[in-house]
Amino acid sequence: MSLEQLSDVVQRCQDLSDDSYTTEDHDVFSISGRTCIEEGNSAQVLSIVLDEKNQDIVRCMGWNLLPPLIQVLLKKQNEKLSPCLAIFKHLLQTCRPKELLIGLLEQLEQDDPDTIAESLHLLLNPLQKVLLCLGSRKASSLGMTLSSVLDQVAKLPLPHTKEQEEDDVFSLCRCCTDLTDFVKPFVHEARRHLLNREAQIENTKKMAGEQGRHEEDELRTELLKFAMKTLSHPLLELQLKDQDTLAVSPLRNFATEILNTLSAIGESVPSLVFQPLLKRKQVPGFLEEEVRYPKESLASLAHLVFVHHLAADTFPSVFSSVFSLRCNMEHICLLLSRTEESRIQKGLELYEKSLVRLEDGSLSADLLEIKTFLTVPQNLVKVMTMCPRHDLRTRGLKVLQLSIDKFDTEAKYNFFQYMLNTSHHSGVEGYVVKNIKIQIDSALQPGNSNTWFEGSQLLPLLRKVLSLPDGPETDLLQYLDRVMESLNLLRYLVIRDKVTENQTGIWTELYKIEDTFLKPLRVGVNMSRAHYERELHDTMQTKRGKVKEESVLSVSVGNEKLPNMTSESQIQALHSALHTFDMIESVLVRIEELTEVKENL
Amino acid sequence: MADEPTREWSDEQLKSDDLPKKDLIKFIQDNGAHSFLNEHKLLGNIKSVAKTAKKEQLIIAYNQLFEGKRFKGSEPVEEVTEQVRVVKIEEKPKEAEVVDEGPPKYFKSVLKKGDKSNFPKKGDNVSCWYTGSLEDGTVFDTNIPLTARKKKQSKPLTFKAGLGRVIRGWDEAILTMSKGETARVEIEPEWAYGRKGLPDSKIPPNAKLIFEVELVAVD
Repeated sequence: MSLEQLSDVVQRCQDLSDDSYTTEDHDVFSISGRTCIEEGNSAQVLSIVLDEKNQDIVRCMGWNLLPPLIQVLLKKQNEKLSPCLAIFKHLLQTCRPKELLIGLLEQLEQDDPDTIAESLHLLLNPLQKVLLCLGSRKASSLGMTLSSVLDQVAKLPLPHTKEQEEDDVFSLCRCCTDLTDFVKPFVHEARRHLLNREAQIENTKKMAGEQGRHEEDELRTELLKFAMKTLSHPLLELQLKDQDTLAVSPLRNFATEILNTLSAIGESVPSLVFQPLLKRKQVPGFLEEEVRYPKESLASLAHLVFVHHLAADTFPSVFSSVFSLRCNMEHICLLLSRTEESRIQKGLELYEKSLVRLEDGSLSADLLEIKTFLTVPQNLVKVMTMCPRHDLRTRGLKVLQLSIDKFDTEAKYNFFQYMLNTSHHSGVEGYVVKNIKIQIDSALQPGNSNTWFEGSQLLPLLRKVLSLPDGPETDLLQYLDRVMESLNLLRYLVIRDKVTENQTGIWTELYKIEDTFLKPLRVGVNMSRAHYERELHDTMQTKRGKVKEESVLSVSVGNEKLPNMTSESQIQALHSALHTFDMIESVLVRIEELTEVKENL
Repeated sequence: MADEPTREWSDEQLKSDDLPKKDLIKFIQDNGAHSFLNEHKLLGNIKSVAKTAKKEQLIIAYNQLFEGKRFKGSEPVEEVTEQVRVVKIEEKPKEAEVVDEGPPKYFKSVLKKGDKSNFPKKGDNVSCWYTGSLEDGTVFDTNIPLTARKKKQSKPLTFKAGLGRVIRGWDEAILTMSKGETARVEIEPEWAYGRKGLPDSKIPPNAKLIFEVELVAVD
């Protein structure tokens, strides 16, 4: 039936000129043509389409056949395949580019990953050919195409392991390779324009014609937008494997090609990576700076350059390591302020790589006047204390220590003060206090003396360390890490620094510390111990009496209420608390012994 | 010279509870020589001394002060030292000590003279073609393409001079070059990439770097 309708309308239109085809003609052609293809009569459709007498018709209406054709091609059922492929090829050669573009783009949008991957593989090449036919007005169409393509790529699952990349079950790797091939001619074109323009400026000192320049700029802008977008996705999500792990990596190649694209269109990679610190002149164009160079994309680029060393051959080896660090701090700050684990991991990797280039003790205190040098540690604290992944928390701590090691003594001093003031976390504060102890120990070594961790400068820092946040009411269990490290530091000072030398000033401070720290701590320990002993007694009574306790609150995780703590667990916890107080007290007593002995010498 | 101080309290008064330790300490500190105070552990803040010293000790010290005549001024050098020591440091030292680093850690030889008038100043944008090699001749970096045609298509390296954006050897050398000059600059590791080198690149630790630099533009 449909075949007859198709033949009829084609016959009728053969004698008409193409501007007198009616809407009805278009509709009948489309609908009948589609139905024929869907019903498997594509061989007949092919002969109609190839018929010389029908070329005008095909040129005008042929593109409407794209949807069913592509559906068939995507299903890959061999019987129907071959004539459909032939029709497809013919349409691509005959129909108008603009209309083909619409038809092809429409078919890019698919729902399930398999079909998405297949449609990209099928359609990228035709799209490229069509776009190249658009001549000097291709830029905005290219932009639209790239945008759609990347939207589809974003729906594909990402490989995480080396094996997944090799297997490429969801074809992301193939898509990326196809995409690289797709943009090549456009990148070459943009590069040619750029070189021509520069040559012109060189030779004639005149600007290229306004109109031409506008369009060329548009092409470059679309390619820049594309590169920036890929840097965010998929590149920022992916874990690229290095040469040793995976010799041939399509994803690494893809990333390298993106960097090459940027260079080709005149965007110098060093300028992009160092952009946070370079005051760029506003480039007249469509997009403002932040839109033109999204911060996240630049951070991704910095990671590719400094961690994966992509395009290393073209990156100048003349920039100072401190300058690189200063620029990267902006990228690191952005990455570490996000919650996605992929961002955090890359932030940590970039930070590590930037620090490792520096010698210990080489960073001066004036760097701490730069905002990112303070916000990054705060972000690190968040990672160390709140990130769900254990390996990232551990790595965060490792990087924090690495950063501390790179500061000189004055910077360390200021940094410790800052961290004690702002981290609001007992574990972090305890860790900082431990570092202070290490620095004091170092300063006391013969020949290592410095003004920051000895003498009068040290005192304000010591006072801050040897204090209780809430006096005797401080929750000792919550602040345990901090309290123990502070006590350890005090004990260390009292042992190591001779009364007669008093290099750290501790001996003349001791009476104050007694009042502000030791005495309230003793009171606190006693109070807490009494409280917990009471609790223990009550719990054991309750247990014996077998009276079921109604708890005051309950905890639910994912709609399941967690069981109440058993009496045994409660008792265990209380014993543990009491043990902690004993521990604190033993150090207190030891300090007392040591100070009495030394004072009585 | 001041007159010798006189005893203020009798033995009985000394032993009495009415005489607070800190008065006794103050007297001894006001009148005793620095070395005397040091020996008897009576230096420093009165309150803290009061915590660590027993009344009996103070009485003994007081008596010994008069017996040995270890008064202030009997050891003049000590007094000055004492006064200096007691001065409180109010502010944190602002300037780090200026360390004399010695001679410049790079060596420049001019290969082609520049215009000798356009010298870059700190903060100026400079553009250079360069080739960098190690002492053994390995070229680790260059921005000069192999063919002349490609050179037309490339851009020289541009950066703001004198701001620590590049390795120190470069920063220092470039400020001594004039527009159009080509020079060979040998940079000791301390002013290049130092003990660490550039990890994962051709530059090893403690590498002396040799650059051939052509300064093409200054603005």
